Amino acid sequence: MRNFHFLLAAWMAVWAVFFVYELSIASRTAKLRDDIERLKRQLKDG
Amino acid sequence: MTLARAAAIILTKELRLEFRARELLTITVVFALVIVVLFSFAFDPTAGESRRYGPGLLWIAFLFAGSLMLNPSFAREQSNQTLDALRMAPVSPFAILAGKMLANLVFLGVAELILVPVFAVLYNLSLAGIVGRLALVLLLGTIGLVVTGTVFSAVASHARMRELLLPLLLLPLLAPLLIAAVEATAALFAEQPSLDRAWLIFLAGFDIVFLTASWLLSDYLLEE
Amino acid sequence: MKARAAITVAAAGLIFFAGYAALFIAPDEATMHEIQRVFYFHISLWTGMYTALGLAFVANVAWLVTRQPKWDWLGVSAVEVGVVCCTGGLITGVLWGKPAWGIWWTWDARLTTCFILWLLYISYLILRGLIEEPPRRATLSAVFGIFAFLDAPLVYVSNRLWRTQHPAPVLFGGPDAGLDPVMVRVMLLCMVAVVIVTLIVLVDRYRLEGMRHDLDELRLAAEAREFKSNSAPIKELP
Repeated sequence: MRNFHFLLAAWMAVWAVFFVYELSIASRTAKLRDDIERLKRQLKDG
Repeated sequence: MTLARAAAIILTKELRLEFRARELLTITVVFALVIVVLFSFAFDPTAGESRRYGPGLLWIAFLFAGSLMLNPSFAREQSNQTLDALRMAPVSPFAILAGKMLANLVFLGVAELILVPVFAVLYNLSLAGIVGRLALVLLLGTIGLVVTGTVFSAVASHARMRELLLPLLLLPLLAPLLIAAVEATAALFAEQPSLDRAWLIFLAGFDIVFLTASWLLSDYLLEE
Repeated sequence: MKARAAITVAAAGLIFFAGYAALFIAPDEATMHEIQRVFYFHISLWTGMYTALGLAFVANVAWLVTRQPKWDWLGVSAVEVGVVCCTGGLITGVLWGKPAWGIWWTWDARLTTCFILWLLYISYLILRGLIEEPPRRATLSAVFGIFAFLDAPLVYVSNRLWRTQHPAPVLFGGPDAGLDPVMVRVMLLCMVAVVIVTLIVLVDRYRLEGMRHDLDELRLAAEAREFKSNSAPIKELP
């Protein structure tokens, strides 16, 4: 297969971009969830 | 109060403010000249190349100088909170916007009136026989610049770093206008000057699209 | 949770199958052979991008008309996802150009439009970052978003017109390059895969934005309570 490395690089780049983005969303979501839980508890006890 | 009358009053206010200080006009003209001069160092135009690069350079200078000049349009209102006073006046938001657009059109128009002859001299391009048609191209291009620029000045005035933000928002959006204006101008500076109707129609279309959008969205631009 | 996991697994399977199809099932193209297969991903990313940006436009208008926060959430999510697709489109464009034409970049109409859109919508995100108050941020970015969306066809048309006057290598032939039915099916499959992934990521981003909103409300409530408990009682008048 000629130019296979370009093709593979393209395929991987595309999914890497999506994957990295999804990862960043997931980590921010987890952190937010913690903050929300903390605040909810604070309001309940406070 | 009709739209025309309200816009005219705002226009007069803007003009009066500016001609008292005259700083804006001076800076705009000088800045555009600086760009023109710097380009000549970067590209060293011979007669043939002047014809090719000249129009592009001219419009780049207008776009950059213009996008800096458009900032004070609304930034000025922020510092003294005069926008609240304007809002309370019995005029439609679009009248305020239109008045400012017209004022900016006048400022930029005067700047261009000064710059184009200077540019023609510096780059050895003849303006004979094309002045009227060139004026039309300049007018249509400047209208597009001023309409979008005034709107984005209103948008950026509420944000931090507004001096950097305005060119960032405006210049990519104006890419089609730049292409059209440069091509139309180049056609006029060519060996056989001609008025490129396709690009003129495109410019007019650009202006109409964004003027209409500004009219429809003016309420939201100027709200609290 | 279960539904979400199932969808993710299904999407992953779809992606792998689409990739396999693009790489191995689709027939070889006469002039460019293997590298032409980037076409499937490139056009699919375009499709994803326009879907996302179209949704963003709808969201922008809906916010201005209804003022419901969910439209602002949808707006920023759709723009972010659109920028991601656009980035992918630009990367695949570059990775096609080099082996196929020996050049990294050319200013053909489609690539230029992609680049300008990328700049415009990155500016949208920068603008949002520079305005503090949520309602004003939503309104002003919606106005800008609408302007940006209106500009997109103008960018494309002006570039096409320009390129007919100043021809340059056209990188992606046309969507009808290679009307081989198997190619068309693989193309559709890849488009569906990318659009589905785009929508999944969009929903996640939307939920994140919603949670941010909830967090802000909770913070306000916590601050209000602190304020109440800290303020001194009003002294009796002498």
